[in-house]
Amino acid sequence: MYEWSEEHQLLRAAMKDFVTREIVPLKPELEHGDMPPYDVLRKLYRTFGMDEFARTEFRRSIEAEKSSADEATDTAVDDTDRPRPRPDAGYILIPIIELCRHCPGMVTAMGVSVGLTASAISSRGTIAQKQRWVEDLVTFDKIGAWAITEPGSGSDAFGSMLSTARRDGDEYLLNGSKTFITNGPYADTIVFICKLDEGNDRSERKVLSFVVESGMEGLEQSKSLRKMGMHSSPTGELFLSDVRVGADHLIGETEDPVGGGRSGAKSTFQQERAGVAAMALGIIEQCLELSVAYARERVQFGRRIGDFQLIQQKLAHMELARMNVQNLVFRTIEMAAAGESMTLAEASAMKLYSARTATDVALDAVQVHGGNGYMAEFQVEQLARDAKVLQIYAGTDEIQTVAIAKDLLD
Amino acid sequence: MKVVVCVKQIPDPADPGELDPDSKTLRRDVKLILDESDSYGVEMALQLVDTAGEGEVHLVSMVPNNEVSGLRTALAMGAAGASLISDECLAGSDALGTAKVLAKAIAAQEPDLVLTATESSDGYTGTVPVQIAELLGLPSVTFAKEIEIDGSTAKVKRQTEAGYDDVECPLPAVVSVTAGVVEPRYPSFKGIMAAKNKPVEELTVEALGIDAGEVGWAGSRQDIVEITAAPVREAGEIIEDEGDAHERIVAFLDELKVL
Repeated sequence: MYEWSEEHQLLRAAMKDFVTREIVPLKPELEHGDMPPYDVLRKLYRTFGMDEFARTEFRRSIEAEKSSADEATDTAVDDTDRPRPRPDAGYILIPIIELCRHCPGMVTAMGVSVGLTASAISSRGTIAQKQRWVEDLVTFDKIGAWAITEPGSGSDAFGSMLSTARRDGDEYLLNGSKTFITNGPYADTIVFICKLDEGNDRSERKVLSFVVESGMEGLEQSKSLRKMGMHSSPTGELFLSDVRVGADHLIGETEDPVGGGRSGAKSTFQQERAGVAAMALGIIEQCLELSVAYARERVQFGRRIGDFQLIQQKLAHMELARMNVQNLVFRTIEMAAAGESMTLAEASAMKLYSARTATDVALDAVQVHGGNGYMAEFQVEQLARDAKVLQIYAGTDEIQTVAIAKDLLD
Repeated sequence: MKVVVCVKQIPDPADPGELDPDSKTLRRDVKLILDESDSYGVEMALQLVDTAGEGEVHLVSMVPNNEVSGLRTALAMGAAGASLISDECLAGSDALGTAKVLAKAIAAQEPDLVLTATESSDGYTGTVPVQIAELLGLPSVTFAKEIEIDGSTAKVKRQTEAGYDDVECPLPAVVSVTAGVVEPRYPSFKGIMAAKNKPVEELTVEALGIDAGEVGWAGSRQDIVEITAAPVREAGEIIEDEGDAHERIVAFLDELKVL
């Protein structure tokens, strides 16, 4: 794959049209006000039939899982082998790219809900748990949050984790504070990652994931935190004080999931990192387009600034970045079509490069725009603030670097 | 009910390219997209078929090359299929030449209703719809803002400067749809995936039984004598507020007689 297919281009055009007509007019409220992104994201889902598609696929996967679990599979109705049009990974990545040209925060809010949270329950949960929580998440009927980070634990997520689950009869009592939680202030369904406190040393405790729901006694969801960028993605804190849940809220309904409790979180990291390349591409494409247009129009010293070689160098580097990151996105689409998945190290390398490049490009775009680039009226200012977090969330640059090196040396 | 919609694929207005100095027409050897003016006709047709509870929407388009990307957009919106008259000899066709080709392709579909835009966004002649109707011997209604099908009759609200006229005509008929009267739907994921497998019948001028000399440059009865760049917009007057800005703005608007 060296270019978007005709089908991809049709999808991109439709998405671009939607973003231009439905989201860009709301940008002042989304980026500089307090408008949560959920209503317009739901409109996106309904408009393109993403909700119905997700529902159908989810129900098919549940039926398939039930059938495979059923000894009488031969008599079960199974249409999973019947050919039907299936979208490739471009159908996931193109909306991300087009949204990120204007509101990367919306992708963060959407991805954490339909991606991270739903995947965390899907990958380890029982069929009953999936039916109870995942369907509403993948259709965006409900908002999800994935809570791992704590005030004292970021990159060292498991080592420094203080949140606990304690057994109390057949139930568990959950306690702890989580911070920097995307969708935290508005989430209906929250995956709470904590350690099982059996009175043993913290380093020996099992990592467990529970589903908690908005409105549960003892759960407090903070207001949105003020951030440098990604203003269209509400981020908040969660405080759990003796939140009582049954074993049916423990993902997988076992304290000993296959591969251990940490592996579920790690597989989520991998998926999260792959999505960052598409986010970076959207930011880079927009910064490049805006910068080229500005370099053509802006006149200084009697010449358009695009005639100056130092500006040309910046534009050329931006184009180089666009080509490289686009190729990484193409690789993701091709690997998914081939049924292959990246190793954690590959996903880390892609995330590291894409995030750094997006930040560099966005800052160069500000520089090309000069004083105007520093003004909120010119969009590159917002994109530069937004891009920076790509180097921090979903694993910092430093964590990605370590993961790559570890893979090389082990 | 079968509704045929005439759609034009045009250079993207956001990146329109340039004029060919020899032919004095827009270069069309670039990626073409669905003319937005036609998206209203497609939407209107889809709504009429939905209301009827049966039938289909079929597209008819012509290009000098075999470009289909604009057609795929309309197919993704929900049209069932398309006829694409693709022939090098169509380059340079004037409005009447275009109408002759489209009329032949439309007739082959035996439609109950033909919808068009009022005019294309790149040619702006606005004459093709009525020419098609004349060539097919069908009633023509222009500038429709609403269409209702009642048995074998089309009831049309025809937009006028003062409001609208209620018009009725027997079917089949050719009706041009005013831009902006409906909200064209976004193609859904399902629609986009299905579009690539929907039938697009490619036809040549010869296959339609038309002499190549009747269309394109050879058959064109118009001659573009000269093209001139649009005048650059003059800078407006900037009014600095020294306490009397509102009075000066009111006076300026009053002079334009817009108050």
